[in-house]
Amino acid sequence: MSFRFPRFPVSAPVRDTGPMMTTTMAASDPGPIGLRAEAVGMTYRRGQHETVALAECSLDIPRGTWASLIGASGCGKSTLLRIFADIVKPTAGVATLHGLSPAQARANRTFALVSQQSTMLPWRKILGNVELGLEVAGAQPVERRNTAMQMIELVGLAGFENAYPHELSGGMRQRAAIARALTLRPQFLLMDEPFGALDEITREKLNFELLRILRETGATMLLVTHSISEAIILSDQVAVMTPRPGRISHLVRIGFGHDRTAAMRDDPRFTACEAELRHALHGGAPLH
Amino acid sequence: MSAVDASVLIPATAAATPAPVADEGPTRWERARKVVLPALLLVAGLALWQYVTATGKIDALILASPAAIVSAFSTSGGEILANMLVTLGEALAGFAIGNTLGLLIAIAFVHSDLTRRTIYPLAIAAEAVPIVAIIPVLILWLGNGMAPKIFIAVFLTFFPMLVNAYRGLRSADTDVKELLYTLSASPRQVLFMVRLPASVPFLFNALKLTACTCVVSSIVAEWLASSEGLGFLITLYGARYQIPEVWATALTCTAMSLCVFGAVVVAERLAMPWRRTAST
Repeated sequence: MSFRFPRFPVSAPVRDTGPMMTTTMAASDPGPIGLRAEAVGMTYRRGQHETVALAECSLDIPRGTWASLIGASGCGKSTLLRIFADIVKPTAGVATLHGLSPAQARANRTFALVSQQSTMLPWRKILGNVELGLEVAGAQPVERRNTAMQMIELVGLAGFENAYPHELSGGMRQRAAIARALTLRPQFLLMDEPFGALDEITREKLNFELLRILRETGATMLLVTHSISEAIILSDQVAVMTPRPGRISHLVRIGFGHDRTAAMRDDPRFTACEAELRHALHGGAPLH
Repeated sequence: MSAVDASVLIPATAAATPAPVADEGPTRWERARKVVLPALLLVAGLALWQYVTATGKIDALILASPAAIVSAFSTSGGEILANMLVTLGEALAGFAIGNTLGLLIAIAFVHSDLTRRTIYPLAIAAEAVPIVAIIPVLILWLGNGMAPKIFIAVFLTFFPMLVNAYRGLRSADTDVKELLYTLSASPRQVLFMVRLPASVPFLFNALKLTACTCVVSSIVAEWLASSEGLGFLITLYGARYQIPEVWATALTCTAMSLCVFGAVVVAERLAMPWRRTAST
């Protein structure tokens, strides 16, 4: 692939140490347009019966920044992510990726999806699995191999490229899935509970690894998670969603820059974010 | 098996240290027993067989003795072998054509609902035809050479392959399909990168089911009308009361059937290397 990651000054759309701001509904942060949802709604009809999965969801994720959707199961957070991935078509509102519709973005391969199951093809070795995206995109074998090896190294899987997926642990498979997502140098990473199936220790380790990868690639990320700490570690803003109908009830800014280390967990601001998100999740009014 | 898995999980530098062995493998005697005991039973059976036939307790016309069968091989071996090649040719041709046809139609089914709705009911109806019953008609149409035998083998192998391949081609899970969808893969890419590899275990199920069937069907068809092949030979020897030759031919049929089946099993192992290291 000849195109490169678009790089933006990481600090531009994010206040490094600014006070935490809590706003309900859409945030109006200036910055290059990234992922945007405008009054997105999703209603399922079955005969006379109507189920509102999403109502009036608006979200703005500037390019180069990271956002999380957090909420209880069934709040529609995965649905919203899948709307951006063009898997689900919204029944109301518009979702755009850098101004493109999800269908256009999919055709241009500007985003990559990472799901909870690492979704490996069991008959392909790790290298073959990581090469899959490039193969579909029609890249030449040499280029395919080089890029895949580069990404395998980036996610820390060097030496395992000739193993079959079932020979690796769940965490390693998920690293491979991330490597595969990165091979097409996507502008947007859509991650649907990527570490949901992993144990707490592996998950936290991978959280900080993903931080490093995000910094190195400059990608814009939307993460669906049900872990408060994961959301804080990996986000510039966290959208809290409530179910029935699924809507974004709170938007919490995480005031850490992009140069984060594991030490951020001991920062009092981290604890404050945690408390704020917990209150928001349990239906409380915004703290401020 | 556990040692193989562990060595992959440990980085190359650590691979030199022996992997812990979770459970003791079978002892030498336990392994030898698997071969020795059935062999002993076989030898005992053959000895009993030789005894009851050689002493005339069972008439040689009813049951040929093992020694007589061995000598039948030495006198008529060439003839049996030549006819075996005919039957094998019929069976393999039918096997190849029938399975290919079944797979191609299954691929068509996956890509076109209209094709499936049009052809599937007819395929099921055709499957219900007791093919042996219409062999006389087939011989009338296709003569008594290899053609009707191949036709029957095709007929019998095609349906199991169609059903299994159709299931196999649809067996890839939703996540994989979504992945290919978000990558904007073409239907052709989905077929070759996901559907066909995912269907391999199903294809081999069908191949195993039909490997012996095509041999049997060729022999049955030869019984009814032919001038060569193992089925023809059995009826010929039977009519001449060459009972040891009948048995020798039947054993050849069995050996041939086993070889065809064995070849499929070996091919299965070779075709799915990722399964060989699977822990389950």
